[in-house]
This record gives sequence, C-alpha cells and structure tokens, in this order.
Amino acid sequence: MIELDLTLPRIFADGSGELQLRLSLESNSLTAFYGASGAGKTTLLRLLAGLETPVSGRIVVDGETWLDTSQRINLPVQKRSIGFVFQDAALFPNMTVRENLAYAASSPKDAFIDELLELIKLESLGARKPDGLSGGQRQRVALARALVRRPKVLLLDEPFASLDATTAQSLREVLGHLHQQFQTTTLLVTHNQEDIRQLADRKVEIERGRVKADEAKGPESAPISGIITKLDREKGYLETDTMQIRLGAAAAWPNDLKVGDEVSLLWEKRI
Amino acid sequence: MMNMDWEPIWLTFRLAGTTTILLLVVGVPLAAWLAATKIKIKPLIEAIISMPLVLPPSVLGFYFLLTFSPASALGQFLEKNLGLRLIFSFEGLVVASMVYSLPFMVHPIQAGLENLPASWKEASYTLGKSRSITLMKVLLPNIKPALLTGIVLSFAHTIGEFGLVLMIGGNLPGQTKVASIAIYDEVETLNYAAAHGYAALLLVLSLVILVLVYRFNKRLTV
Repeated sequence: MIELDLTLPRIFADGSGELQLRLSLESNSLTAFYGASGAGKTTLLRLLAGLETPVSGRIVVDGETWLDTSQRINLPVQKRSIGFVFQDAALFPNMTVRENLAYAASSPKDAFIDELLELIKLESLGARKPDGLSGGQRQRVALARALVRRPKVLLLDEPFASLDATTAQSLREVLGHLHQQFQTTTLLVTHNQEDIRQLADRKVEIERGRVKADEAKGPESAPISGIITKLDREKGYLETDTMQIRLGAAAAWPNDLKVGDEVSLLWEKRI
Repeated sequence: MMNMDWEPIWLTFRLAGTTTILLLVVGVPLAAWLAATKIKIKPLIEAIISMPLVLPPSVLGFYFLLTFSPASALGQFLEKNLGLRLIFSFEGLVVASMVYSLPFMVHPIQAGLENLPASWKEASYTLGKSRSITLMKVLLPNIKPALLTGIVLSFAHTIGEFGLVLMIGGNLPGQTKVASIAIYDEVETLNYAAAHGYAALLLVLSLVILVLVYRFNKRLTV
C-alpha cells in the first residue's frame, strides 16, 4: 500500500497554484494518471521517486516512511525502492543493453539480467548500444532496467508517448506481462485511453495538481450459465434457460455455437 | 638546434603536464558541482573562475607575489609548516598555472555536463547510484570530447604562459626558466638563432597537439 499526501507550489499552464495530492494506492495495482499537460502528473512521479521534494507531505510505502516533512524524514532517491522509466528511456549511450541492466544490478552476473532480457525479447541484442535500437526496443530496455533491482514501486512517465501505434501495442503487452509476473505496484502517466483500458486497475485524472476523478475497475461478476434453447444469428438473438441476450448485428458469434451448448456470461466494469 | 639547451623545453612540458593532471583532479568535481548547483552565488563563483581569461597575467602574478612572498603571513605559514616556498620555485609555478588555466579546464567540462539530458543523471540515481558513481560511470564517459578539450586547452595554455611565470618564477634555470622565458632571454641577448629554435619547436608541437585533438575528438563521440 502506498499512501501519499503531498503539497507543492507549482506553476501550471494557466498560472501559479498549488499541487495538493492525497492518494492511497493498493499494493500490486497498476494505476494510470491522466490529464492535461502540465497538470502535475509527472511531478507526482518525481515527488514519489525523491527527485523533487514537496514543501510539506508524507509518503509511506508498505509501512516504510519515505518522506515525512513534519518529522524531517526524506529518504534520498537512491534509498527509495523504485524503478523509473523516463519518457526518453534515458539509456546510457556509453553502455550496451546488457551493461545498462548490469549497471543497476548488485552483481553484473546476476541471472535476473538474462531473465529480464528474455522477457522483453531482446536477449539477442544484449551487446548492442542504445543508438542501434528502435524507440520501442529502447523503452523495453528501460523497463527491464527499472525492474532489475526488484523495486517496490514502478514509475512510468509516458513510456508509450513517442512510439507508433504498433510498437506501443507491443510494449503494452510486454508491460502487461511483466506486471502480471512481478506484481510491482505501478504508477503510469499517460495521455492514451488505450493504455488505461488495457493495463490499468484504476484511473486517476489530475487537473491543476488535484485529483479531479478517481475510478477503479470493478470486480468481476460471478458468471451466469445457461443451456442455449434458441439461437437466431440474423437477428442477433440468443436465449438460454436462464437469460435472453440481444446482440448487435456486428457482434462476432462463434461459428460452431448451436442450440444445446452451455454458455456463461460474466461482466466487469471498464474504466 | 643541436646545441640547444633542452632544459627549458623539458621544464615547460613538466609544468604543463603537472598542472593539467592536478587541474583535472580539481576541475572535474568543480565543473560537476557548477553544472548541478542552483546556489545563488553561482554567478560570482563562475566569474571568479573566469577572471584569468580577462585579467592581464601580470595582475594575477602581482597579487600571487604579494600573497605568497616570504614576507606575507601566508607565505611564512607555508614555509614554516610545510617547507613550501611558492615564489621563485617550480611548485609556485604549478599553483599559479593552475589558477591561470582553471577556466580552460572547468568551462568545457561544465558545458559538456550541462548539455547532457538531465534524465541520464536522474535515471542513475533512481537505480541507486551515488553522485560520484553517476559522474564517473555515466556522465564523464559521455563527455569525452569536452574532457579532452579541457585537458588540451589547459596543457596548451600552460605551455604559452609568460607574464605570470616571469612575475612569480623569474628566470631560474631548471626551476622556473620555461621555454617562453628562454625565448625572451635569447632575444634580449640578440641570440635570434636560439630564440628561433625554441619558438619553432613550440609552434610545431602546439600545432601537432591541436591537430591530434581535433582528429581524436571526432572519434570520441559515443
């Protein structure tokens, strides 16, 4: 669980004001932050990382206090268990892909480096310098590098922003897979609804340094099952002993669906 | 050329080499600090470092002479406690040359560091690395051309010193008589052939060094 309560004077697009954020984030969750440019989304990540310091505030991560201005506690960025992926990937050009990951590891021979390279499907490019990678590959390396230390919190600052749609989708899949595997509590700053739809458990809209909207994905419902008693493909009508469903003409029906089959219906609240 | 006294040449390169190595040790952390700090008196510190660029060397030499002469409190303190005399000595020339060439080392390195994306430094911090590790392993390897420029400019500038050396070093063979002083000496005694020997040698060496630098600088970009 991450608990945040941060205050910082800030200049927004329409004049000066105050960033004031109070949030609780569940462990292992992936929360997306969206909103207009300059609303304070990136500042939130930087404050959490310790790259900026609020005038007053408190950050507690899994019971450990990282910041408490009233008690003059302010853990330096190096001591906070975070992984940060910058918009420009920020790979070190003097190091190869593998060296970039090894730089973050406690030992350059850490087996986790190879595991991560395999997970991001770049094991064959370990000896290549960042200049020889595409934008999507660079972001994948940055993501893996941020995970090498097995951080408690992963901070992603618009990692998909400079990528084309296909590359962004492939990186989303990698991120989704890594999140499922490592369950790192993740904060994702994004402008893209697709990122939110595919990845986030919760979305928070930030406006002028404040939370404007906060919506979490609902829990999955229990499925309702039934035996098909009537099926009209042309009208998009399906009836079972427990429910009647009318689908739009464009709905994709499984070809082999027939009367007598059992179907289950479950739904979740999308964000 | 064959009968030339090589001592001033050797002394010149010893002075330039020592000064450059010590300036590297002092200049890199200073440049890194200046590139990162937001302290209010930063312009004042930068102005002080840049003073040798605009001051006549004789002004610097004059105040150096006053500060470190055996008659001054600091001069007496250094001589009594450390056995160090900075006037009319090689050690004094090194210290004065360091002050005189400091901007030539600090400016290129500071500019090189300021031009790097801030995210590289911050990324290194978020990976748990200290400021010094970040400087040595991430920042400096990515400003090799700026480092080389600082090293060569400091070296070349020290080779070309004259007024400052004359003020605080005088003309002691083997200790403070560097090539530029030797040229002046030979001209004064109308020994133009010897003066020409030193001058031509410095000219050629300086040119060779600079050509090598420009050549290497292109290769050093990561």
